[in-house]
Amino acid sequence: MKKFVIAATVAATLVSAANAADINICVEGAYPPFSSTEPSGEVVGFDIDIANALCAEMGQSCELVKTDWDGIIPALLEGKCDAIIASMSITPDRMQIIDFSTKYYNSPAGFIGAEGMMESGLDGQRVGVQRGTIHHSFMEGVFPNVELVLYGSQDEIYLDLVAGRVDAIMADSIAMQEGFLDTDSGAGYAFFGESYSVPEYHGDGAGVGVRQGEEELRDAFSAAITAIRESGEYSMINAEYFDFDIFGG
Amino acid sequence: MENLIEYMPLLLSGALVTITLALFSLVLATVLGALGATGKLSGGIIAKSIVGVYTTLVRGVPDLVLILLIYFGGQRLLNIVGNWFDADYIELSKFWAGVGAIGFIYGAYLTETFRGAYMTIPPGQIDAAKALGMRPISVLRTVTIPQLISFALPGYANVWQVLIKSTAVVSIIGLEDLVGLANDAGKSVREPFIFFAFVFCMYLLFTFISQNIFMYAERKYALKGHDDAV
Repeated sequence: MKKFVIAATVAATLVSAANAADINICVEGAYPPFSSTEPSGEVVGFDIDIANALCAEMGQSCELVKTDWDGIIPALLEGKCDAIIASMSITPDRMQIIDFSTKYYNSPAGFIGAEGMMESGLDGQRVGVQRGTIHHSFMEGVFPNVELVLYGSQDEIYLDLVAGRVDAIMADSIAMQEGFLDTDSGAGYAFFGESYSVPEYHGDGAGVGVRQGEEELRDAFSAAITAIRESGEYSMINAEYFDFDIFGG
Repeated sequence: MENLIEYMPLLLSGALVTITLALFSLVLATVLGALGATGKLSGGIIAKSIVGVYTTLVRGVPDLVLILLIYFGGQRLLNIVGNWFDADYIELSKFWAGVGAIGFIYGAYLTETFRGAYMTIPPGQIDAAKALGMRPISVLRTVTIPQLISFALPGYANVWQVLIKSTAVVSIIGLEDLVGLANDAGKSVREPFIFFAFVFCMYLLFTFISQNIFMYAERKYALKGHDDAV
């Protein structure tokens, strides 16, 4: 049986897949929890679920094409796929060669602190941030009344939160969930307050990449993103992976 | 470690892709190398120049660049030609693009290996064979080829060892070879080092096995001493 599976895999590699689907979507497979490769070789994750939900919403059949991150934009440009859904941030540099739908998430920044803490009680409290980051500028701009404590690395802030030297931390939500809350030392701590993604401070988020000049496809993806946000499909997928709303405000 | 065991069938299928890719590439490289060496040794001025450009160009450009050029550039060429004839999108297979690129690259190295081996055969032997009245085909079969194999084998084995390692770069075009899959799996379970350690061992195993095969071949095709000459 195993031999058969291996032989089938080789055969599948030798003969390139026929493009029977309406839309081929390039995905990655090495960026958990957004996309990761299962022992079966299947790609799973938040990006994948969103891709399938968008296709269902658009009423199109989609085929996911697993592509190495480094070759993903060339693959789009040469027509090996028609769209990229791979947590690709919308940046001015990328906008020069490809086009993006509206964002489908913007890994938001958030506060964590001891369970039960409130955003309204932050004034005068000590909040740890990493020096020189977008979170540093965001806190100075939006929360001028808290006492900022600056650190060189994120790990030092976690240590000081546990040690009680700071009351809260402002940083990237995913980094904090994976790097602190989901670990043993994160017990008793939680997100509080809103998720922030202010384009001025935090950039534009991740969008669906398409070739330039394909406005119709781009707009169809943007419309589908809005539609799954409204239908609640998005929050269902969101809840499977994250404790906060990853779409960002 | 449990993760590695769980992913083992996937990684082994990747290893099989790597080996198949390397073997097909070697066949292509050998054909190109034989043609190239023939062109360089006995071709006219045009053949000599074409082979000269081929070996200079290929040996001067990194593998990675050529692979990207053949896979993505080749696809663009197919798209443009397809557009002229109003044909549907023709997909360039990752596997054959990889074989094409690696075979093309190592064909240039083998051209030099074969040419060097041919030049080691003393020209007097061939003259002597001709003087004995042997036809060109029997000169080739009994004088040139056996010595050519023997002289070329060490260089050929060397090229193979480098070739099999350079298959690692095809993972950039998304071919699911050993390195590409180990990279994805390792990052997916956040244990990249264990997975790359496995890749390391697999490549060592490949090169160890091929070394032994070539040592056997070198013994088999070793030129017999004068005592054996009739």
